[in-house]
Amino acid sequence: MRQTIRALGWASNVFWIILLFFTVTAVYSAFQLRPGFGQPYESTSGGTFTVSLPFHIDNGGLYDISDVNLTTLIKDDYGLSVSNSSTFVRLIPHGSNVSATHQMSVSVSQIAAGNLWYLLLNDSTFNIDVALKLIYAHAVPFKISSNLTMPWGAPLSNLTLGTPSFTPTEAIIPISFENHSFFVLTGTMRLEIVDNHNNVVGERTTALNVQSQSGFGTELDVSVSGDPTNIREARLHFQTSVFNYGPLVIALV
Amino acid sequence: MLPRISKAAVKAVLYFVLLYLVPSILISQLAEFAPDLFANYSQLLRLFVAVVIFFVVASELASGTIFQHAFNIGKAIILIIFYVLALDGGVISLNLNFESVPINIWADLRVYLMMLITIDLLGLAKGLLQAINFLSEKTELQVPTPQPAK
Repeated sequence: MRQTIRALGWASNVFWIILLFFTVTAVYSAFQLRPGFGQPYESTSGGTFTVSLPFHIDNGGLYDISDVNLTTLIKDDYGLSVSNSSTFVRLIPHGSNVSATHQMSVSVSQIAAGNLWYLLLNDSTFNIDVALKLIYAHAVPFKISSNLTMPWGAPLSNLTLGTPSFTPTEAIIPISFENHSFFVLTGTMRLEIVDNHNNVVGERTTALNVQSQSGFGTELDVSVSGDPTNIREARLHFQTSVFNYGPLVIALV
Repeated sequence: MLPRISKAAVKAVLYFVLLYLVPSILISQLAEFAPDLFANYSQLLRLFVAVVIFFVVASELASGTIFQHAFNIGKAIILIIFYVLALDGGVISLNLNFESVPINIWADLRVYLMMLITIDLLGLAKGLLQAINFLSEKTELQVPTPQPAK
């Protein structure tokens, strides 16, 4: 009995020493971590806007860091996912420095094609959920997360068709919008005039080259076949370097 | 009785220095980096030290009796409960505000909690065995030694 009690006492002491050693070295190692971020850079390609964020982690501690996963989830005001990006680093051994680049992509062409098309017309606010998950010392899963907001500028903000005026053969339609987005809107805009019988009775294509944070306004003269007073609506089609969108139907009467 | 009291007082002071003063200095230094993170832990530390010192002193004062082992067993059980509560069952989550940006920190310390509980279970087993040993030795002393038949 006495030997068993003594053995249990020794076992308890040994466990305490291991636990204290692990605690002290883990805290010390945590303070030896030197994470850092590089200069973020932007790129636009094929309707996708990408922000690249280089980062590095200098693990000067005594324990490995594994399964490092940096995720960013961008959502609109209604909680719909706009972009979901993830960067995974399998292992950061102790005493080493690992660099990686996290890329957050927002595809404007996908916004235009899906149920987020309203973002082309309305400014909004994006909610960005950022989370960094890792396993410390192969034993302690750890996660740090935050929530940020980012303004979204619509490329076709305040799109308005003014009151049309008519000549016997033409409809003159004022059109204006503001490009609040981060990109230059280059491409074409096609305006179709549709009469009460759902026939396209006139159309006009105009070139667009609208700088970021600037407005566009013009009056389009559209030749109309038939009676111009019979027209019902206008249909707008945008074909730009960043997105294609249309038809956007606007009543003219 | 006086040696017991002085021994208990010395142990209490030692535990107070080792478990409270030294960690308090460390926590106050760490709190400079993240005040919100360590604010709750100084209160938990005080409670932990109070529990440990109470049981150490009580156990010392009751040494040589069955109550010494009862206090050791009680200490092990209370500390297991304390660890589970202090570490929120091993999964801790903290919400901080860093320059008005909300930051959530989550850590799964179940491995660490398991190690703490293992140590206390060993202490519990040791206390139980000591109590059984104490009682059996006492019983042996009370039983009259059989006399050889004449």
